Amino acid sequence: MIGASISRWTMSYFAMAVAWLFVALALMVAGVGFPAADLAAPDTLVLVHVICIGWLSLAMCGALFQFVPVLVARPLFSEKWALPALALLTAGLASLLAGFLALGGRLPAWLWLLPLGAVLLTAGFGLIVVDLGLTAWLRPVGPARFVLVGLASLCATVAFGAVFAFALAGWAGSVGQLILAGGVPLHAIAGLGGWLTLTAMGVSYRLLSMFMLSPDVDDRKSGTTLMAGALAIAVTVVGGVLAIGLFAGLNVVLSIVAVLGLATAALYGRDLFAIFRARKRRQLELNTRMATLSFASLAGTALLGAALVVTGNFAAHVGAFAFLAVFGWLSGLVLAKLYKIVAFLTWLETYGPVMGRAPTPRVQDLVAERRASKWFMIYYAAVWTGTLMLLIGLPSGFRAAAMAMTAGVIGIVREVIRTRQLADVASPLRLPGGARAPHLLFARN
Amino acid sequence: MTDELVDRIRDALRVVIDPELGHNIVDLGFVYDISVVGDAVRITMTATTAGCPATGFLEEGVASCAAQVPGVGSVDVEMTFDPPWTPERIEPAVRAALGFATVN
Repeated sequence: MIGASISRWTMSYFAMAVAWLFVALALMVAGVGFPAADLAAPDTLVLVHVICIGWLSLAMCGALFQFVPVLVARPLFSEKWALPALALLTAGLASLLAGFLALGGRLPAWLWLLPLGAVLLTAGFGLIVVDLGLTAWLRPVGPARFVLVGLASLCATVAFGAVFAFALAGWAGSVGQLILAGGVPLHAIAGLGGWLTLTAMGVSYRLLSMFMLSPDVDDRKSGTTLMAGALAIAVTVVGGVLAIGLFAGLNVVLSIVAVLGLATAALYGRDLFAIFRARKRRQLELNTRMATLSFASLAGTALLGAALVVTGNFAAHVGAFAFLAVFGWLSGLVLAKLYKIVAFLTWLETYGPVMGRAPTPRVQDLVAERRASKWFMIYYAAVWTGTLMLLIGLPSGFRAAAMAMTAGVIGIVREVIRTRQLADVASPLRLPGGARAPHLLFARN
Repeated sequence: MTDELVDRIRDALRVVIDPELGHNIVDLGFVYDISVVGDAVRITMTATTAGCPATGFLEEGVASCAAQVPGVGSVDVEMTFDPPWTPERIEPAVRAALGFATVN
């Protein structure tokens, strides 16, 4: 077999990620953390890390375990590391969250939970970075380069986070306190901008080309996009740490990063237009149509950020800016692609082994797009409404939007579970002789 | 006799579909060549995406399908991406049904 096989634990990562997404939505509906609390409040730290580590990072890692081998047409360095890494990340996140709750007085003052969480998360992400990094390094061309830069950004994000965790426990000395006092924007930009955004961009190039049968985007063009993004993260990390060390403030560094970030988004938009224009399949599937709404959200995030900076309101509305980036761009894209990836992997797992021996359904027979589309529309409408509520300072409106987001996500997840259960496949083709129904939470390969 | 066996193998391969495009690999133009020497069959084929996990299943599906055709002794399947597959290889009726751009 050339290249990739089915990743055994991708579904487990997706399931855990979705569980954390529901935790995040429940917190937002209940009014825990921002906007009810300050952005730096311990409750907000709980919410932010549930979203960024529990939901987005786990979903991204699950997808990468399957798609990095596809990107480089080589097998994964080690399949065996995926499950221990998931266990370490889950335990680490739980410990970190408990540490934040202790910090906010909701638990006894067990601040040692923060460094413990940091160590476990560093170990978990470390396994993933080595596994995926060594795989992507075998053929570092095209989208795989985005993944490598994304993984490097993940290392920087984890390093900042670990220093913060030790500093909050009082174990990092004066240098740790200094980095904690000034480094939070650097941690956030490296995580959201470097790890999650650059990786999502890289994977999206390949997925869009693959599912729309479009030629891969020109390497020089995507290379320019990556260069702008990588430079933004390098300036963030190196320039930011230098600025903190020299007590120079972060304004200059963040201004440069903002310009580079805008350039990256614009170049990515140019690349996407090229992929869509050159596609052979003219009819777009639901996952691609919904991904376009996440691209629109990324454009909206860039425009909103620029407008807020020009009008001098960025600091006051950084929460709305981050919310649109996290739920419109990143979560929207992840949900849209999750819908497709689960169907595709479920097909391969169930019908791949009997191909040639019995008639099989199509991947599209595993999904009911018309039924699913309304849940995506509810989700995106709620995200955009939530952003507006944050901008106009209406917390009750934001909670109502969070409820609608929850309804949308429940609908989407129900559709994904139905796909996994082959519930929409007509009975003569559903389980041909020799085929086995897939397990909900892992691949049986 | 050889031509007839090639035709029977080609017909049998229509049970193998590309899961994404939802049509059989013969009409999609994935089968580049079928050659027969005695009862030994060699099939040269392609797929839309190198590295995709579906590629391996397509290869195995073609091998097991061809092996069931009466008169076939051994089957050797070669997966190649040179030349790469293009939608121009699809049967015109199927291409229209799939909503493909005719010129690209």
